[in-house]
Amino acid sequence: MQQYILRRAILNIFVLWIVTTLVFFAVQVLPGNFAAQQFAGANLGGATPEAIERAEVVLGLDKPVLEQYGTFLWDLVQFDLGESFRSKRSVWSELGRAVPYSIELGILIVLVGFTIAIPVGIISAIKQDQLPDYLLRGGAILALAAPVFWTASIAVILVLQWDLFKIDVDGQPHLWEDPRLALQWYLIPMFAGGIASTATTMRLLRSQMLEVLREDYVVTARAKGLRERTIIMRHVLRNAWLPVLTVMGLTVATIIGSQIVLEQMFNVPGVGRLLFQAITLRDTPLLEGLVLVVAFVVVFTNLFVDLLYGLLDPRVRLA
Amino acid sequence: MTPPDTSSVLPFDDRYSPLARVTSASLALWRFFRQKKLGGVGLVIVLVFTALAVFPGALGRYDSTLVFDRDNPNFKADPTVAELAEDPDIGSPRVVAQFQAPSGDHWFGTDRFGRDIYARVIHGAELALIIGFGASLIAVAAGLSIGVISAYYLGWIDLMLQRVMDAIYAFPFLILILLLVQISEPSTRNVVFALGFGGIPFAARLIRSAVLAVRGSEYVQAARIIGASDLRIMLRHVLPNIGAVLTITFSIGIGAYILAEATVSFLGAGPRNEISWGRMVSSGRGALDIHPWESVFAGGAITLLVMAFNLLGDALRDVLDPRLRGV
Repeated sequence: MQQYILRRAILNIFVLWIVTTLVFFAVQVLPGNFAAQQFAGANLGGATPEAIERAEVVLGLDKPVLEQYGTFLWDLVQFDLGESFRSKRSVWSELGRAVPYSIELGILIVLVGFTIAIPVGIISAIKQDQLPDYLLRGGAILALAAPVFWTASIAVILVLQWDLFKIDVDGQPHLWEDPRLALQWYLIPMFAGGIASTATTMRLLRSQMLEVLREDYVVTARAKGLRERTIIMRHVLRNAWLPVLTVMGLTVATIIGSQIVLEQMFNVPGVGRLLFQAITLRDTPLLEGLVLVVAFVVVFTNLFVDLLYGLLDPRVRLA
Repeated sequence: MTPPDTSSVLPFDDRYSPLARVTSASLALWRFFRQKKLGGVGLVIVLVFTALAVFPGALGRYDSTLVFDRDNPNFKADPTVAELAEDPDIGSPRVVAQFQAPSGDHWFGTDRFGRDIYARVIHGAELALIIGFGASLIAVAAGLSIGVISAYYLGWIDLMLQRVMDAIYAFPFLILILLLVQISEPSTRNVVFALGFGGIPFAARLIRSAVLAVRGSEYVQAARIIGASDLRIMLRHVLPNIGAVLTITFSIGIGAYILAEATVSFLGAGPRNEISWGRMVSSGRGALDIHPWESVFAGGAITLLVMAFNLLGDALRDVLDPRLRGV
C-alpha cells in the first residue's frame, strides 16, 4: 500500500515536471515575451527596441533558452517560483492571495453540484422511464451543453430584471470575513459552476443505481419487506456511489475550467483570473506557478480518489 | 448445348448491388431513428445548422454586417448647442437602430451597432461547425497514430507516450487551449489546431484500448505468422476493425470543441474576423439590463448545437459500441 502511494506520488511528480516543461517551452514559442508585451498595451512611444532589450536584460529573458530553463528547474527543486514579472512580487505571495478565493469558490461549486446531482440521480433511477426521470435527464442534457458563461449571464439577467440583489459587491470579502456579502458575491458563479458540473455525476449515479437495483440482495431486501427508503439508502446507494467517486477527479478539472470564466466574469481575484492574465501578459514565472498549482490539484485529487476507493471498497486492491 | 448452371456455384449476392447498399443504408438510418429518438433529434438539429452554415444568405434574412437605422423621435431641425450637448443625435433625422427588442422585422432584435442579431446567429453557425468538425478530425487523426503506435508496440514507447498524454490530461482543457491559442494569431485555423491538439489525449486513449483489443485477436496473430509486415497489419487488419471506435471518438468530441471555442471567444481570445457565438454573448454583456437578447440568443444557439452533437454522439456510441458507455 505504502509502496503504491509512493510509486503513484513519484509518477505524479514526473507528470508535473512534464507539465511545467511543456508550459515553459510553449511560452518560448509565443510571439513577444513579457518585455515586449508590457509595452504593447499602453504604448506611448516608449517601446523602442532598446527599451525592450533593457527590460529583457533585467528579466533575464536575453539569456539562451536552455540556460533559462536550467535556472527555472534549479529554482523549482528548491521550491523557489521566482517573482511575477508584472507585480514584482514573489509568485508564492501571489498564489497565497489568489488560492483562498479559488478554493472558496471551488468548494461552493462542488457543494452545489453534489447537492443537486445526488438527489437528482437517485430520483431519476427510482423513477426510471417515468416522467420525472425524463425531465431530470433532459435537464442533465441541457446542463452538459449550456456554456457556463451563458448560464451565469441568464442568472444575471434575471437578477437585474427583478432587482433581486446587488451583484457587484464592495471589496472582495472572504467567506470568513463577511459571510453574507461574500455569499451574495459568489451566489451566481457557484450555481452556474455547480449546475455545469452536475450532469456527469448525475448520469453516472443513475446508471450505477439501476445496475445495483437489479442485484439479488436488493430483491432479498424487498422480499424481507424492508421499507423502500431503507433499501435505497442502505443497500442501493451504498453500493452505487463508489464509482461516482472516480469521476470526481474529472469533475475537478471541469470545475477549474469553469472557474477561469466565472472568476473573470465576477471579478474574483482567484487562480483562474490570474492565470488568464498571466497567459495574456506572458508572465512566465506567475504562469508556471499557477499551472503547477492547478496540475497538482488535478493529479493529486486523482490519487486521493483512488486511495479512498481502495479504502471504501475492500474488493479493490491497490498494488 | 445449354450453358452450365452456375447459379448454385456462384449465387448472385444482391447484398453487394448498389441499390441494395442504398436500401440497407437507409434501412439502417431508419432503424437508428426508431431506436434512438434523441439521437435522431440531434441529427436533425445538426443537419439544420449545417444547412444554415452552408446557405446563411437563404435563411438569415439580412446580411450579418448590415447596420439598420430608424427615425429619430427626438429629431430637431436646428438644435442649439446646449441641446446637442445633451443629446448628440438630436440633429440627425435617422439614427442607428441599436438595442431593438425582438420584433417582426428583427426576430432576435438588434445589437449595439444596429445589426440584426438573428442574421448574426445564423452566420455564426459556420464557425462553430468548422471548429467542431475540424478539431475533432485533427484529434482523431493524431490520436489514431499515437494510439496505434502505443498499443501496437507497447513497451517503453507506450509508457512514454502515455505519460505525455497524462501530462496533457492533467491540464484543464481550457487552460491548454488558451495557452495554445496565444502561440500565434487567433485565427480560425489556429483555434482549430489548438482544440484538436488538446483533444489528442482523449482520442488516443480510446483508440489505444480499441487497438489493444484487436491486437490480441487471432486474425492478427495469423497475419503475423504468415509474415505480414507491421504496416500491413496495421492498415489491413487493425484499422478496418476499429472503425466503430473511430466514428464514436470523432462524433462524441465535437460538442466539447464547440463549447471550448465559445468559451475562448467569450474570454476575448478567439478568432477575430469571424462571427462567433461566444463573442456575441460577451458583447451582449455590456447591456444585459436593458437588452439581454444578444447574449440570450447567441448562448441559446451554442447550447442547442452542442446538445445536438452530444445526443448524436451518445446515440452513435450506443448503437455502434455500447461497451464505451461512460467515456
